[in-house]
Amino acid sequence: MYKKEFLDKLSKATQKYEEEVNQILDELPGAEKERITSSGIPVKPLYTPLDVKDMDYFKDLSFPGEHPFTRGVYPGGYRSRKTNIRQITGLGTAEETNERWKWLISQGVTALAVIGVQPWGYDADDERAIGFTGKDEIVCDSLYDYETLFDGIDIGKFSVHLIAGSAFTLANYFAMAEKKGIPLKELKGSMSNTLKPSKQCLDIIEFCMKNVPNFNAGYLDVRNTREGGCTAAQEVGWGMAMTKTVVDVLVARGIDVDDFASRITWFVNSGPDFFEEIAKFRCIRRMWSRMFRDDYGAKNPRTLQARMHCQTYAPQMTRAQPFNNMIRSAYYGLAAILGGVQSMHINSFDEPFATPTELSASLSVKTQQIINFETGITSVVDPLGGSYYVESLTDQLEEKAQEIIDDIESKGGSFKAFESMRNQLRKEAIQLQDSIDSGKMVIVGTNEFVDDVDIQLKALEILQNSADFEAIKEYDPAIRDKQIARLEKVRKERDNDKLEKAMKRLSDALNADDENMMPATIEAVKCYMTQGEYARVVAGANKQITKTDEEEFLG
Amino acid sequence: MKQSIKLLLSRDDMTHQRGYWVITNALRDAGIEVVLGGIQTPSAIVETAIQEDVDIIGYRIMQGSPKVLVPLLIEKMKAREIDDIPVMVGGIIPTKDEELIRELGVKEVIHPYTPLNSIVETINKICGMPSEQAEE
Repeated sequence: MYKKEFLDKLSKATQKYEEEVNQILDELPGAEKERITSSGIPVKPLYTPLDVKDMDYFKDLSFPGEHPFTRGVYPGGYRSRKTNIRQITGLGTAEETNERWKWLISQGVTALAVIGVQPWGYDADDERAIGFTGKDEIVCDSLYDYETLFDGIDIGKFSVHLIAGSAFTLANYFAMAEKKGIPLKELKGSMSNTLKPSKQCLDIIEFCMKNVPNFNAGYLDVRNTREGGCTAAQEVGWGMAMTKTVVDVLVARGIDVDDFASRITWFVNSGPDFFEEIAKFRCIRRMWSRMFRDDYGAKNPRTLQARMHCQTYAPQMTRAQPFNNMIRSAYYGLAAILGGVQSMHINSFDEPFATPTELSASLSVKTQQIINFETGITSVVDPLGGSYYVESLTDQLEEKAQEIIDDIESKGGSFKAFESMRNQLRKEAIQLQDSIDSGKMVIVGTNEFVDDVDIQLKALEILQNSADFEAIKEYDPAIRDKQIARLEKVRKERDNDKLEKAMKRLSDALNADDENMMPATIEAVKCYMTQGEYARVVAGANKQITKTDEEEFLG
Repeated sequence: MKQSIKLLLSRDDMTHQRGYWVITNALRDAGIEVVLGGIQTPSAIVETAIQEDVDIIGYRIMQGSPKVLVPLLIEKMKAREIDDIPVMVGGIIPTKDEELIRELGVKEVIHPYTPLNSIVETINKICGMPSEQAEE
């Protein structure tokens, strides 16, 4: 990209600069002598064309909307479409969540996400539900709850993300849509169906492939792994390795890679290490496109596009000086938009205290609106492309992520290497904690710049005690009684004979040699089968339908 | 040679568990024997505490409601006559819940970012161990 003469001259000048600056930093007390990213990449004081001298614009960057998609998934970037403002919602029963959704829509959310729809395995009247029902998530025991949840919500217009990996959840969503008269073909959305070789996961993907083309039925949850303490390189590398393993399983099943890989969403984190996060999003896009085009021969351009939903980093939402969290979340959100994600949830400042209130959820929405409408950064696609620093970081992250992928492949793939990945994750978390406890990693207001009297915390508490609106959410245990009443209504009013037959049909479907479980599940939920009943049917099947979280949650 | 402290570490639900494992590691490094209860209801915590004859219970609550789960735990401990076992609660504990559960006898409430060595100190103190134990 650059002439040899120029590079020689630059090399000498850079060397001179580095010697000068290192001397200055060595002699200055308190100067930052070393900086290393989460992934272990050392960061220099300055980056120059030398750091990108081997870059091939067309091969490594190209244009947004073109392989390898480094610069963005869509040609027009945010000019065509801003990030989906998708705040996770889930509180109380379906009634309370429905109300909150309507309010959030009035505040400007452009997409929906609901938490609490992953079945617990039992209904709200089970003893095990005590203390949990409707606390930090919605409780949905049957189709009746889904009907209430989506009452007055235009699911033809809004993309909906279901935070669940269960056929029960999806079946209820589809049954509810059918009742509203919305054909499956028109549903836009996704679900947290984390890629794994379980019958349930793969059946969901196959069913949606054939029947619900605009629904992203596969999910790569590396965001929660990052919460668990992994590095940016591991977030990318483990995500890619897990994709590879599932793709290999599906391809062996005879499924065309283009049929399903275009319907996988990345669930990514965005945290404190600003530039590394930006480089990470670009790295994900490039590696994904290269892998599917070169290793799997994908033809559909949509397969090559790594689309990302982002939720900002929660562990650094501190209890001390809680309003600092608004500022943290804003910066994490900024990095994600500079990195080109498609959809985002910005954590509310009161994460360490409770589920978001209208106040804190609204602030999260405003954060994205301010980035999208006031900063002007959305007018240029991949505005940091070409930065010597960001390009160098993107390259180095890719190298590290590739090492991780190769290591996992040598161990037989991500399912075989799972334990070792989990052990590595625990190690990273311990190291991270060490760096916090030692003060090496600064957390403002918590291990550095600490107040004797925390006036932010005081302000929040005063607000809580004196405002006529909710400043911090308090859990009302009576929510469980409310849900139990709803459950009893369902059990009384449904046609129990019809349900029995449908559950028997579902049981037969699960036991059959090669039947997709979705249609029978949909028929059974239409009869108002509850989650407890579903769990019993699944447990009685002659094969393993799902994998437990303990077996497959990397976090 | 003094006996080491035996602590039952349980949590309320799945998903996020980074603190659970980081604390396990720190306690083990400090010579505390950690029995990993995993995800347990209050009933299950009581049973394991009895079976393992633990000195202290550590209950991580994040998803559930501390003001509901902790009284439930203590009630079940009383029913099985092990309410003399000290209980520490950690995780996402709202201020009002913290006040309530301390009144019920919870010995300490650990919020995120509590330095690990101070958690060890607290456990030693609660169990009547001298602080030298932490340095071994």
